Amino acid sequence: MPIDPSMVPMLETFIYESTTLLEQLDEILLESEKSKSFSEDYINEVFRIMHTIKGSSAMMEFTNISALAHSVEDVFFILRENPGRLASVNEALFDVVFRASDFLKMGIESVQNTGEANEDPQEMIQELERLASIMRGEAAPAAAAAPAPAAASSSAPVADPAFAGLQQIKIYFEDGCQMENIRAFMLLTQLKDICDELESIPAHPENDASLCSEIIQNGFTVCVKPATTLEDVIQVIESAVSIKTYEVLKAEEAPAEPAPQPAQDAPAASAPAPQPAKPAASAPAAGAGAKAKQSLVSVNQAKVDQLMDLMGELVTTESMVVSSPDLKGLQLDNFSKSARELRKLTDELQDVVMSIRMVPLSGLFQRMNRIVRDMSKSLKKEVDLVTEGGDTEVDKTINEAIGDPFMHMVRNAMDHAIESPEERLAAGKPARGKITLSAQNIGGEIVMKIADDGRGLDIDTIMRKARNNGMLTKPESEYTNKEIFNFIMLPGFSTNKEVTEYSGRGVGMDVVRQNIEKVGGTLSIDSKPGQGTVFTIKIPLTLAIADGMEIAVGDSIYTLPITSIRQSLKIYDDQQIIYDTDGTEMVMLYGECFPLIRLHELFHIDTPITDLHDGIVVQIESADKVACLFADELLGEQQVVVKPFPSFLNKYEIKRLGLSGCTILGDGSISLILDANSLLNM
Amino acid sequence: MSVESIIKDENAVEDLRGRFLTFFIGETYYGIELLNIIEIISVQPITYVPGLPIYFKGIINLRGKVVPIIDVRLKFCKPERAYDEKTCIIVVMIQDMQVGLIVDSVAEVISIEDAQKSDPPELGGNGERYLSSIAKVDDKIILNISCEKFFQSDFRTY
Repeated sequence: MPIDPSMVPMLETFIYESTTLLEQLDEILLESEKSKSFSEDYINEVFRIMHTIKGSSAMMEFTNISALAHSVEDVFFILRENPGRLASVNEALFDVVFRASDFLKMGIESVQNTGEANEDPQEMIQELERLASIMRGEAAPAAAAAPAPAAASSSAPVADPAFAGLQQIKIYFEDGCQMENIRAFMLLTQLKDICDELESIPAHPENDASLCSEIIQNGFTVCVKPATTLEDVIQVIESAVSIKTYEVLKAEEAPAEPAPQPAQDAPAASAPAPQPAKPAASAPAAGAGAKAKQSLVSVNQAKVDQLMDLMGELVTTESMVVSSPDLKGLQLDNFSKSARELRKLTDELQDVVMSIRMVPLSGLFQRMNRIVRDMSKSLKKEVDLVTEGGDTEVDKTINEAIGDPFMHMVRNAMDHAIESPEERLAAGKPARGKITLSAQNIGGEIVMKIADDGRGLDIDTIMRKARNNGMLTKPESEYTNKEIFNFIMLPGFSTNKEVTEYSGRGVGMDVVRQNIEKVGGTLSIDSKPGQGTVFTIKIPLTLAIADGMEIAVGDSIYTLPITSIRQSLKIYDDQQIIYDTDGTEMVMLYGECFPLIRLHELFHIDTPITDLHDGIVVQIESADKVACLFADELLGEQQVVVKPFPSFLNKYEIKRLGLSGCTILGDGSISLILDANSLLNM
Repeated sequence: MSVESIIKDENAVEDLRGRFLTFFIGETYYGIELLNIIEIISVQPITYVPGLPIYFKGIINLRGKVVPIIDVRLKFCKPERAYDEKTCIIVVMIQDMQVGLIVDSVAEVISIEDAQKSDPPELGGNGERYLSSIAKVDDKIILNISCEKFFQSDFRTY
């Protein structure tokens, strides 16, 4: 079914909204599954999520999605009325709701790709209906019982036996105070904190304004189990506004006086019927949700990108003004003062603009939780996922770029690294494996680690494989462990013998590394046999604005990110220069040798400065590699906005030459940005 | 967009069709269809970019946009010549990308009727590969360059 053209603008919103909701749903499900129960808040939240998805997908005419959401909603409706019923279905419910959540996600993905929803969820709906009927089956006697005593109570303000064991208080609001249902709800909210259990007749008064008249006539009954004493509860009720009278009901007390409107009572007691939930189910949950979350505005990414671009232009223009050649040699105290102010403000503005693009990693970690859960079930391995530093924030583009690599590495860890429980016990390890995801913000870089306590990388196997694939470039005995581990990140290398459902589909660690490098990151591996493997990802905090050191080579100016500079130095002593057997120049510093890269030779630039004594040597580092660059001179530090090379030049792969992009300097000229990582890997 | 402005836009495109900017490389007249052209700017400092074919002079900053620059002389395998005050950069748009072309000097904008054009001869040689047509206007021979053909070798082949 193609989408109605008039719906297209809505589609984006629908996809965004539903995806966000489903992520929330997963989070709740995982959390609840751990504690094996749903808290009241969570039930309401799931109910609200399903309700919203149902509504919006029905509006978009994705009937399959809407139908499934409806069944889930039904199940949670029962739960919401009677949380105890969860016990009757427990495990099965989690599974089927997880499956439903997956189905919905796939559905929304296929809507995104093809504009059509996926196949029929009939089977899942049946499963949900079966669970619902199990729960309802138990619910049936109670539900049947409820109307009966309600009818009986028609004659008196007697405690409703359906809520036996609870103190019941009947409350009448002042005449003409209006919005009785909302007042009742507010009272419930106030009481919630001081009561262990809290029910009301009618239930959920806030959902239905038509309940007002009923509350006026019959009063509003709260059934409480006080956390402390009944007096506390009564005090709260007394202090609440607009309450005319209240009355504590005694259970099984004899009828005292005829109730004014007997007929009305029945529907009130059986309020937990499907019909009142739909119109305003989102109201209570939205209120509850607001407490937990910050108030958010969703913004089109293009606008944020534009803001970022403008910010970059502003930074450039600012340095253009401040370092204008017209000002050279002038003593301008006031100007300098204002310029400093301006700099302070642009710095601040830049921080804010950057922070807009920042998203916490917790969402990503959450998804890993899900993978670990599913895989540990299907692989019959017991694994705990520990996450640390989920509140670390990264640029949105980075967050998107590392999603797949993360997933891949966690899958690898689950599939290959973590042993089966028997194997683990035999090796003297606890039966439950552990995967740790951690993120940390260290000096302008995000350092993320994916660590497992599995069997570790098998050096011999990797070596054999590398040998068979002809990847060795020097004698085997000369390879360090680290170099051997690096083999698994080369294209066409996979140690896995069989293809499983989760990994080994020909997409290996080389793709992971490529993805990480695309956003300027690095990946390194450390592993100890029998103890586990640690993958460390380092990614620069932001991509767009960087502190750079300008260095001159001939007529060209190059910018080197400050983060990759270790030190710069002049060379006075010829003995510091050593030549390798193949003529490679090396610099000896503090007893260590580093290869020397002459920028003017690398880029074929004419410069009078070719003698090492005349120029400057800059030591750079990236990941664990260090080298020295030779340039004419250092020009100074500047904040630069990184721009990509024009796409017209894509064919020539300039980036392979050790350049990551270009930037516009204060005087309007262009400087190319050096990329330490690729310079070191040339 | 209102109906009027669509008509106006179409008229604008229609106005440009058949109109060519002519420029000189040495003594030879060349033409580029005005539809492809964004603007003409004077020569400005060009940042050298390593690793590009010889006819790429580098990149320039065009009001915050980074634009690669091709020296047409070098692309046509003609001897390089020092830039002077007549040297211009013609900025053209090709497949949504901007590229600057350095030419000796620009001449004028002229209209060329279809009748005045003839197909380029089917000969070998370098120059011919880039031509869309050869026109004769008022005793002048104008070699019209096809942007698609001109940039063919620089496009990435997927």
